[in-house]
Amino acid sequence: MIDKKRLIVCVGSGGVGKTSTSAVLGLRAAIRGRRVLVLTIDPARRLANSLGLSEFGNEETRIDLSSTQARGTLSALMLDTQTTFDQLIGRLAPDAQTREKILNNEIYRTLSNTFASSQEYMATEALHDVFTSGRYDLVVLDTPPVKNALDFMEAPGRLSRFFDKRVIRWFLAPYDEKRVFGVKMASTLVAGTSAVVFRLLGYIFGKDFLDELSEFLLLFKDMYDGFRVRHEEVIELFKSDATCFLTVCAPTEPSIEVASFFAKELRKRNYPRAGVIVNQVYPASGTKLDAKSLLGDAVEELGADMKSSVRAGIVARLGSAHGRFREMAEIQRGWVREVQSWMGPNDGFLVEVPRLEREVHDLSSLTEMGDLLLGARDPSRGDP
Amino acid sequence: MDIADIVYGNLILVTGKGGVGKTQIAAAIGTLAAAQGRKTALVEMGDQTPSMNRIFSANIGYEPSKVADNLWALNVDWASALQEWIQRVVPIKRVVKLILENALVRRFLDATPGNREVVVLSKLVWLCQQYDLVVVDLPASGHAASLMAAPHRMLELFRNGPIADRGREALKLLGDPGTNLVLVAMPEEMVINETIETWQKIRESTPSLKMPLVVLNRAMRPTLTDDERELLSRLEGVEGGADTAEMLKAARWEARQEASTAVAMSRLTSETEMNLVEIPALSAKEGSAPLVRNVAAALARSSNLRSKGIK
Repeated sequence: MIDKKRLIVCVGSGGVGKTSTSAVLGLRAAIRGRRVLVLTIDPARRLANSLGLSEFGNEETRIDLSSTQARGTLSALMLDTQTTFDQLIGRLAPDAQTREKILNNEIYRTLSNTFASSQEYMATEALHDVFTSGRYDLVVLDTPPVKNALDFMEAPGRLSRFFDKRVIRWFLAPYDEKRVFGVKMASTLVAGTSAVVFRLLGYIFGKDFLDELSEFLLLFKDMYDGFRVRHEEVIELFKSDATCFLTVCAPTEPSIEVASFFAKELRKRNYPRAGVIVNQVYPASGTKLDAKSLLGDAVEELGADMKSSVRAGIVARLGSAHGRFREMAEIQRGWVREVQSWMGPNDGFLVEVPRLEREVHDLSSLTEMGDLLLGARDPSRGDP
Repeated sequence: MDIADIVYGNLILVTGKGGVGKTQIAAAIGTLAAAQGRKTALVEMGDQTPSMNRIFSANIGYEPSKVADNLWALNVDWASALQEWIQRVVPIKRVVKLILENALVRRFLDATPGNREVVVLSKLVWLCQQYDLVVVDLPASGHAASLMAAPHRMLELFRNGPIADRGREALKLLGDPGTNLVLVAMPEEMVINETIETWQKIRESTPSLKMPLVVLNRAMRPTLTDDERELLSRLEGVEGGADTAEMLKAARWEARQEASTAVAMSRLTSETEMNLVEIPALSAKEGSAPLVRNVAAALARSSNLRSKGIK
């Protein structure tokens, strides 16, 4: 997967190590010689945290891999919606005057800055940009938790439908159709229905809203085709062999439920599935263990200088801690079995990754997690 | 201010980083409020896999389902909320149908950013008028912050008209003395970082919204004494088989959880102005419904609320 694919999309619920997994895959691919970008559209700073960086912004930031003997490169990019939007307008606007008008348009500022769904739009643009730039062999995309990740997958479709000329024409018709496309409405019937519905929309949402939006759409008139084409290309990319979707989850009920939901959605959309990673699994053998027989002597010996109550306390604690550990592992095994039960032949692999003893937030802990996930092989040979 | 004060308010918004047990805490707060005799609505925000289904063994939809005495659960998806919005303005079913079934209108409404936020916030305004208390399981913190900021931005954009009216209503509700936002965290460094950031971000974007409480879920209050900790670390060097290693690992993880809990508690207290409520790590062995009831009982113990009626 990390040697051949050009785009890996990590999906799953929050807090299951999706960002760390993205970073691990990116790091391993870079070590194996590819030029990799890890792209996050998560508003939180998790990727920076995972990579041990204090902060990075809307610029592609090269990660220092000098300690790893990597043959390739690893970069990271965290999308800042406003900046990405502005850069995009800068690139696409037909002339400086339109650009300024758009950047100063109130509705543009609000839409580009405040609303969650604009993050998804911009992610699509950024993805298209880095993917076609030729700067990278592999892009690993870390998506936000479930509902928003779905929005993300749907955003390209939603947006390209929005920029469908028919919608724009219909919408702008009562205002100034000639200025937009220079054609009259094809059917008076459509125009008639439109006018009624439009008046109703004005009544519901307010004429202000529709006026502002029309102005916004007029300003964007020369960019519609570009938007639509790029978004359609991203959808094609999602479906292509160059891409795979990787579901990341934790062995807990809510997370497994979300993973199962994703499996269904990905199947429905016919997006290629690489597999499911179950992170944070407690590595217990399942056997009931007796603290006294395993460690009783050692406690007596090493705690000889301490009160007997301390020694007794530790033996009791070892036993109860292991009891809780075993119980947790047993509950988790049940959830992993559940994943096995719904995975189909085309859903890819199922990998369990044991919970690490420390949080993942530097290159060495990422390498440790990579060894657990992909096997600790010589990075220069063999397939992971 | 503690949990007892906020369950006697009108609206509780619950958010936090993904995976911290946000839904569980929201459900527990709802359960607790209902046990005090408050007519309570528990709202999930349009999740396609509503966790409330599992917790209450029910099929939760847009229309409220009664899940316990005084407790109703509902899942507010955007499309249904939009339909209700339009129905309230145009009270003729056929016209509403005409509008919503127009493919072009659908596309337009579907793709216009901001529509979702305003429509969903309006639904919360209506619910608050119908129930003593509304408890909302918001999306994860990043998106919750932009939802909270939406009405303010809408008002900058539209000074008059129906959208502005809705925006003003939503803003008034967020700043109401009976409205509180509760953050949920757990003792992990990244979670604590994000919790503190979210607190700062919402305080800047929506200064009128009160954030009195942070719930530290799955907390393990330090119980090991210094001597015990010392003895545990000496045991690390013991040679033994896999079983010995596994037992030591289990103890080491708990010791680390205790240490992380102490750090989390001190950071949340010193770096934010929220009061801290701890929920101990409880067994998930019996499934999510008993777990929610146990969390509700733990919340009750953190204040002077009755836990009678929860079981």
